[in-house]
Amino acid sequence: MQVIFKLYATLQDYLPAEAKKTNSFPLEVGPGTTAQHVIEQFQLPQKLCHLVLIDGRFVPPAERATRVLKEGETLAIWPPVAGG
Amino acid sequence: MNDEKLLRYSRHILLPQIGIEGQQAIVDARVLVIGAGGLGSPAAYYLASAGVGTLVLADGDTVDLTNLQRQILHRTESVGQPKAESGRQTLAGINPECTVIPVTERLQGERLDAEIAAADVVLDCCDNFATRHAVNRACFRFGKPLVSGAAIRFDGQVAVFDTRQSDAPCYNCLFPEGQDVEEVRCAVMGVFAPLTGIIGATQAAEALKLIAGIGTPLAGRLLLLDGLGMEWREIRVPRDPACTVCNGRR
Repeated sequence: MQVIFKLYATLQDYLPAEAKKTNSFPLEVGPGTTAQHVIEQFQLPQKLCHLVLIDGRFVPPAERATRVLKEGETLAIWPPVAGG
Repeated sequence: MNDEKLLRYSRHILLPQIGIEGQQAIVDARVLVIGAGGLGSPAAYYLASAGVGTLVLADGDTVDLTNLQRQILHRTESVGQPKAESGRQTLAGINPECTVIPVTERLQGERLDAEIAAADVVLDCCDNFATRHAVNRACFRFGKPLVSGAAIRFDGQVAVFDTRQSDAPCYNCLFPEGQDVEEVRCAVMGVFAPLTGIIGATQAAEALKLIAGIGTPLAGRLLLLDGLGMEWREIRVPRDPACTVCNGRR
């Protein structure tokens, strides 16, 4: 199945080259894939995964490894941001 | 307010939510803006033009040519000047009724405490976590609302931390100190110019609402702006009962 994967701010460095103009891309995932699985697949540093959202709803850190992604959902991950 | 001020601020006074009473509160207010860069520039523009009586503008940096792409308080001829002083000059030309107090050093220690204690509202427009945590601690200690903005690349965040409300989080509830990642500066990552305008202007809006006592503040909510998709998201930010800054309050 397919989900939309979005990375923001400094995490954009982990996007595949073809996604750099939009910050999001469709991602094929297997059944039972969680947000944490995707974080590990893309080797995102845990400290940079400050806010995880699925379809715009905040997923608390304790639920990242249990919240299973569904077809068509958007997984978005934000790092801490301090720039001004 | 005299006739000239009534005329100058008439488009605010016409708003029933603001009126003369709200505008008078704005005129009587003292606002501290920490950082006169990408966020502080638009924030200070709107606060000064809208009639804030005293605006303390703090920044220890000088204007650099690379700032001018987005830091709209500063001009080409200001390169090399302290940002706080350059900002004061620009704002004086927009609204001489606003007294701008430039602080040309990095605000910290006793001076930070004194300025926060004296302010009605604090805007954090700085570019580093250390200052953000110091500002948060002082805002909590002195019971001052903190309007916090941040931006990098195409993405921005804005929230209000008002610990005068018993259920509202502080900045440390959302970004626990010690878990911060290394600072990533615009000098390395880049930042989309209008993004800082959108976030900074939103900070000014929240500050003016707090001063006038109108609307629903962003307290306990974090707005996330995806500048590439031009989408806003809002997430609720609860108090952290284990927060090392604000856990002592009721």
